[in-house]
Amino acid sequence: MKQSGASALLQGAVQDLASGVASALRGGGRTSREDLHATVRSTSDLDLAAARVLGADLLLPAVLDGTAPTGPEVDLARRAFDAYPPPVTAAPTVAWSHWALGHTLRRVGAPSGPVPEPGPEPDASWLTGAPWPSLTHHLAVLAPLALPGQDCAVARLARGRTLDVARGFVRAIRRRDWYQAAGAGRWLAVLPDVPHTLGLPSGLDFVELMGGGDARVLLQVRAARLIGSGVSV
Amino acid sequence: MSAADVRQVAGSDLRRTARAVQEAALRWLSRNRAHFLLGDGALAPDGRVNDSWKPLGELAQVCSTLCARTPPSDPVHSCARELLAFAWRETGEGALFLPLQRGEPFATYPLEVYAAFASAGLRHPGYERAAATVAATRGWRLTEQHPTRRLGVLCAERQIGLHRDDHESELLARTWLGGLPEPWTFERASGYALTHVVFHLTDWGRGGPGLPAAVADHLAHWSPAWLVTCLEAGLWDLACEVAAVAALVPTARTDAAFEAALGETWPRIARAQYTSGALCEVDTRMPQAAPSQEAVPRDEGAPGPDGHGFRTCYHSTLMAAFAAGLTLARWDGVCDEPSPSWMTTGVPG
Amino acid sequence: MASVEKTVEEVRIRDVDLEAVLDPAEADGVFRDSRECAALALIQGEGSLLLSPPTPRPKKR
Repeated sequence: MKQSGASALLQGAVQDLASGVASALRGGGRTSREDLHATVRSTSDLDLAAARVLGADLLLPAVLDGTAPTGPEVDLARRAFDAYPPPVTAAPTVAWSHWALGHTLRRVGAPSGPVPEPGPEPDASWLTGAPWPSLTHHLAVLAPLALPGQDCAVARLARGRTLDVARGFVRAIRRRDWYQAAGAGRWLAVLPDVPHTLGLPSGLDFVELMGGGDARVLLQVRAARLIGSGVSV
Repeated sequence: MSAADVRQVAGSDLRRTARAVQEAALRWLSRNRAHFLLGDGALAPDGRVNDSWKPLGELAQVCSTLCARTPPSDPVHSCARELLAFAWRETGEGALFLPLQRGEPFATYPLEVYAAFASAGLRHPGYERAAATVAATRGWRLTEQHPTRRLGVLCAERQIGLHRDDHESELLARTWLGGLPEPWTFERASGYALTHVVFHLTDWGRGGPGLPAAVADHLAHWSPAWLVTCLEAGLWDLACEVAAVAALVPTARTDAAFEAALGETWPRIARAQYTSGALCEVDTRMPQAAPSQEAVPRDEGAPGPDGHGFRTCYHSTLMAAFAAGLTLARWDGVCDEPSPSWMTTGVPG
Repeated sequence: MASVEKTVEEVRIRDVDLEAVLDPAEADGVFRDSRECAALALIQGEGSLLLSPPTPRPKKR
């Protein structure tokens, strides 16, 4: 019970934070960062953990906007990066999401203070040869790495497996796994040669319709649309 | 999956598993063949054709394809041939189709059931003349049918040498599959519609006009996702139908993930199959939500020899034998080719 | 009061297995299908598409 109560608290905090990011993405990153600013000013451990869960996407409005993030955004991201270094035994997705956060902090630049060292890329070999359903699941968890021009081992691997991710998108929707579908959809927005018969734009609309009540789903759908519309990074 | 793995698919454990599923299914069908008997009400005006002619027609359809896709020396061929002969005798060697048609001259099901026999060379000239007379009317041709159904009637007419001017490409474009739908709109009903479009265009895996390139590409791209989710949902009959369709897709042989999805179907179907050889239509333990782990092995259980068990199992069991037959024929075809490109160049993922 | 709540929250957050949140297992699939209202349905499930649906039959007099 203890665990599930705390988990629910954390999920709530993640939803708040994701909602702020999704709201900022609605206008292409340029219109409203107020919702985001309201959430990133929180300073509790819960918010820090939530920031670690949201990871690099905390800075997504700034990344897609091409503008410098505000102090509080960077501060929260920076503290989440420092507070939760992946243990040596961490699962690859945990190591990668931490790396992505550090990498993005470095990419957007900090308004003040030193930029953290994201360290070397974690190992990506665990994804090599993964069957397409589990590949899609892992990529959806690592959706913050799906950015135009992103060059890392996971992104390179994904670029060679467009059809697999597209099949995973279809499977995720049939399973009503909207979070996986949204993450896969965001990857497809950056991958080459997506079969046009997939109907990605209407697929994203469908995922938003069905699962957009979850702020994390909404965030990924909006990111996918922005990336797909050719926003320069 | 490497090219070597793909090669292994065609000649290894998966092949044995598919074959075992097929043999067990055929054993169950043979043991339960009395349930396919038409019964006294087969020609009665209020007879339940869904419980009489339909199962018999499906048995004939599947066995006709298994005969066509296996060499005469194969025990599966003999078994299918025997079941086909049994079913043909049950129709009075075709003679019963005449009174059936006389009772309902504009019904299409007599012709469709008959066509399954005709495609295996079992024919009744008197019935064919009668069918041709009705089929020559404008009224027969103007019968309003869904495009998928219409393709089924055209397929049946083809078996007895009747051809009409219907534009199959236009009909096809109005089916769910032929219209190239967004693949993520797949549900159970669209699944049945798409498999039957393919069965009708390929004469149930025996030939036919075949699949246009765009449709074949669509299936090559998306049938793995449809197949896997049918298995995960425990929709065993539809999974077998989609597997049969996948086995008929001509363009996918360089796609290791496609071949793997087809291959991995068989251990999952084997786990769902009762030791009796019967396969239920759906996994009743997960009508709404299915865990990602599929069914645990099950022992001989619910579907006894009673009518209810037969009714809930015969279709899936037929489809298992059918899909396994087409899968094995595909793999044998792959092995017969001297050096398919994927064996030498390898394929991603 | 606020600081008490904060302390409670911090204790609770330490109970969360953050690694499990960051590396979640795939969610169980939920498989549902759209239905037709029975009166309007032109095709029915349970594989009855395999052959033609039966033609409506005259009522027995």
